[in-house]
Amino acid sequence: MKSPRRSIILAVAGVAAAGMALSGCSAGGSTSNGKTEIVVASVQPGASAESLAAFQTQVKTFQKANPDIIVRGEEYDWTGPTFAAQLAGGTLPDEFGVPFTDSKTLASNGELADLTPYISKLSYYKKFNPNVIDVAKDSKGHVYGIPFSPYAMSISYNRDDFTKAGLDPNKPPTTWDEVESDAKAISAALPGVAGYMQMTSGNTGGWELTSASYTRGGRLETTAGNGKVTVDTDIPAVKDSLAYLAKIRWTDNAAGSNFILDWNGMNAAFGSGKVAMYMSGSDVIGALVQNDAVDPSNYGVTTIPLESDSKAGVLSGGTVAVANAKDNPAQLAAVTKWIDFYYGQPAIDKASAVTQAKALQASKQVVGAPSIPLFDAATADLARSWIAPYATPGLLDNVKPFTSTIGKQPIVPEPSRHTQDLYAALDSVVQAVLTQENPDVDSLLKAVNVKIQALIDADSDQAALK
Amino acid sequence: MTATPIVSPENVVLGQEPGRSVRGAASLRRRMARRDKESGLDRGIVSATEWRTPRVRFPLATVQLILLILLVICGLLPILWLMKSAFTPTQDTLTQPLAIFPHGATLSNITAAFGINIKIQSYFLNTIWVAAGAWVVQIVVATTGGYALSILRPKYGKIVSGLVIATLFLPAIVLLIPLYLTILHPLVIGSSLLNTFWAVWLPSGASAFNVVLVMRFFDSLPREIFEAAETDGAGPFRLFWSIVLPMSKPVIGVVTVFAIINTWKDFLWPNLVLPGGTDPSSIQPLSVRLPAIQGTTEFGPFLASLAIATLIPIIMFLVFQRTFLNGGGFGGAVKG
Amino acid sequence: MTTSTEPLASRQGAPRTTPRRRVRGTPLTWVRRGGLANLLFLLPLLGIFGVFSWGPIVESVIISLQHTNFVVTTWSDPIWSNFEFVFRDPTFWLAVRNTGYFALLALIFGYPVPIVLAVIMSEVKRFKGLFSVLAYLPVVVLPVVSVLLWKNVFYDAGATGVFNIILSWFHIPAQPWIQSTATAMPSLVLEATWAAAGGTIIIYLAALTNVPPELYDAAEVDGAGIWQKLWHVTLPQLRGIMLVTFILQIIGTSQVFLEPYLFTQGGPVQSTTTIMLLIFQYAFQSSDGGSNLGVATALSLMLAAFLAVFSAVYFRVTRSWSQN
Repeated sequence: MKSPRRSIILAVAGVAAAGMALSGCSAGGSTSNGKTEIVVASVQPGASAESLAAFQTQVKTFQKANPDIIVRGEEYDWTGPTFAAQLAGGTLPDEFGVPFTDSKTLASNGELADLTPYISKLSYYKKFNPNVIDVAKDSKGHVYGIPFSPYAMSISYNRDDFTKAGLDPNKPPTTWDEVESDAKAISAALPGVAGYMQMTSGNTGGWELTSASYTRGGRLETTAGNGKVTVDTDIPAVKDSLAYLAKIRWTDNAAGSNFILDWNGMNAAFGSGKVAMYMSGSDVIGALVQNDAVDPSNYGVTTIPLESDSKAGVLSGGTVAVANAKDNPAQLAAVTKWIDFYYGQPAIDKASAVTQAKALQASKQVVGAPSIPLFDAATADLARSWIAPYATPGLLDNVKPFTSTIGKQPIVPEPSRHTQDLYAALDSVVQAVLTQENPDVDSLLKAVNVKIQALIDADSDQAALK
Repeated sequence: MTATPIVSPENVVLGQEPGRSVRGAASLRRRMARRDKESGLDRGIVSATEWRTPRVRFPLATVQLILLILLVICGLLPILWLMKSAFTPTQDTLTQPLAIFPHGATLSNITAAFGINIKIQSYFLNTIWVAAGAWVVQIVVATTGGYALSILRPKYGKIVSGLVIATLFLPAIVLLIPLYLTILHPLVIGSSLLNTFWAVWLPSGASAFNVVLVMRFFDSLPREIFEAAETDGAGPFRLFWSIVLPMSKPVIGVVTVFAIINTWKDFLWPNLVLPGGTDPSSIQPLSVRLPAIQGTTEFGPFLASLAIATLIPIIMFLVFQRTFLNGGGFGGAVKG
Repeated sequence: MTTSTEPLASRQGAPRTTPRRRVRGTPLTWVRRGGLANLLFLLPLLGIFGVFSWGPIVESVIISLQHTNFVVTTWSDPIWSNFEFVFRDPTFWLAVRNTGYFALLALIFGYPVPIVLAVIMSEVKRFKGLFSVLAYLPVVVLPVVSVLLWKNVFYDAGATGVFNIILSWFHIPAQPWIQSTATAMPSLVLEATWAAAGGTIIIYLAALTNVPPELYDAAEVDGAGIWQKLWHVTLPQLRGIMLVTFILQIIGTSQVFLEPYLFTQGGPVQSTTTIMLLIFQYAFQSSDGGSNLGVATALSLMLAAFLAVFSAVYFRVTRSWSQN
């Protein structure tokens, strides 16, 4: 899915600038006159010139410190549907980001470079929360990258629209019922504006449906004691989440009129004022400013509402910065240095954090997008305090509804097996409740179960053969 | 383009019989000219006598007027709307799309489209490069191949032309994946052609339509000329360069129109083989870039980019109207 | 196709001053007879077709029998399993239905329109060029631009969508266009017809110009009116080209890709997933657990085979009709 990963990259305390995925054939920068050249993921296609400038400033700083390395940026945009072809076609840069959901599988398949010897030397390697660094390891414990930009699912909203609808932008909804009533109020006050909407396309429909189901205590994949993974989407939490969306669409008429929205499409709709409130990664503001000309002072974000169910939790994911499996050792060493410089140091080193924040601030990029801790809460708070003087004006106040309550929400990782396939299959179900009045949700969900279970079982059959 | 899923013009012309597109174009022009003069030699369904009866003339003229209005609404207005939106602030376009400059016009969309974020001019240039290179490859393959097969005629020529014609009826889709693999791992060159213009240029040369068209044209040339040239001591190269090529202008013109229109319009194949690399603005044509930036570009400048991408071909069309309508009509025909 | 019986090549490269000898075999004589020149001229064609056409055709048959994902390649077991996979995939049958639906709608809307318009336009006495230019304008617009414009502006399903504003003038309620399973496909067809009709109109116009005027004169002598001339002269004269555009349209619409790909990505709820889009998804979008080039190629061969058979039958059946 486009979204999480992308939003991820944009965020971390202050490291906003990097976009995502596209790629081109870089397949191995060459080593010439003793210099090592690497191609790294820079910004999304179409990103603003300022964000590219911020990136270039960072590159210059890096090259000054590492005169034997040449860094070239490449537009990169991770999307579920296209990533496999890029990977297999050898069109990925030397360094790029993959979502938490995919890194383990790719690493185990030998499709990423083993960075164990390089990463294990990093000072903060041991500090990683074991659960977090685990997403970057294969089954044998080798490390393939470092995680960055962890996000929690949240609700982004347009503060102006809240005011215009007579709502208090400093008191965003805290329950799903309030989300609905606020959405109704906004759509009634502002014709043509969707009060609340979720993404539906390019695997994001499944991603957000899964998030909504988590908040109602549901789990789409469960692992039995013997390790067998079972998919079950035909559960009350999923059906309630779908029914909720259908109610906003058909009964409240507060979901707008465009229902095929992928990550970019939704952000663009929010940026152009057609959507007032939507489910997003907590760090999406970086991309909204970079791509969609959103004014940070008009942006609000709050935590996703959790139902009273004891298993209710917030979906969380992130990105792993990894290296191209075709790279030579010199390139791998250089890529690790870059990852450390660009994603690692700003989280633990004051000087790096400040340098990066200044570069972003100078290029009018977002500093201070809300995220969740990579190491531990104390380190994250410290890092946030370093960059606070450079934070985008007003942003720290506007994100308070999120930052003040996220600590109390239980974090739940994304489904682990065939996640993107599951999300892709669920896209259609989400689209069905938004575009048809009474779709047969039960049979649609059962079909998803059959399809994804078959993929998972095929994997374990193969493993058994080996 | 070999990988175009759209019906290529080839079959249209073939279905029409040999060389018809060339001769047909000329005869169309002649006939139109004659008809304009009302010489009476040329005519349509309605005779001059009938046209003079009010019972015929009035309803017919009405139908034609309605048609004209419909054509203006369907053909012209969408394009005019696009041009208007290029000068309209984003919010006005979003809230009142049919109002004409409710809060005044602006140049900022245009400036943004040419600015560093969108760089529409670079992608335009790439589009021209893609088309120009594909044109050269297609012309070289078609003329040399057509010359060898239809004028020099080696013994094995029949087999070769049979193999060429066999590919004529093959839907491009069959080639999509093997061709993509070929581009990733080309035989002789070794390194991937992905993100190079060659990935579009070279496969475009494998157009059976071009070769067949040129062969049929060459077949129709009087052979006495070649024999006379040979008597004067001209070898195959001089014959090709000094006699055949200069005589081939009409067919080269037709191949040119097809080559440029097809390459210009193609999306699937360039989208696959020109993903961008470190500098997309140096490689991607408009048809690949515009969809890629639709979600990350402000609406006003985005529409301005669409307008710019539309205006230039329209100007070219209006200037070279006759060439387009006579030959190129087949290019976009019968797509959906 | 061949107009002259004697291959010119047999005389090429053999200067008149040298008496021609029918010596066979040695490379030198081959060169002097022009064999080398022939080959040199054929080289671009052989190279380009070999690498980018003939080779890939053979390769596609091989790939369809393999299990491959760019990295690892093995022969399928059983050998036809890629084809079997396609037949077992419920999405395939859905795609067949959707593609058929697109083709059918395109036929109903898109096929007669250019014929009717061309016939009316051909009777225009003044400003005929203007008519052609207006009709052809949409064809000049980059297809990608057309789709993006229609998608983001005209088909906007909100109250501020251009089409919905126009409908509201006539008190027709706003339509969902591409946002509903019921209207998505017809919307795609509408845009595709708009984008393509001009090209077909020009073809028919050219054909109409080639109708011999004597036929009309003769019909009038027999006392035929306008409708009778249209029915007995014009349409029979257009029959050949109508038969060809019919099959071309079928072939074209069964390979529709751009519209479903850019408008809807096959949605909503797979209602616009066509065969071409499915081939693309199999090959390049890993929603079925990794790119599967073998399955994609198998499906593309099936589509090609279907079109080949369909065309062959069509031409056989219609042969007698097209010869007057």
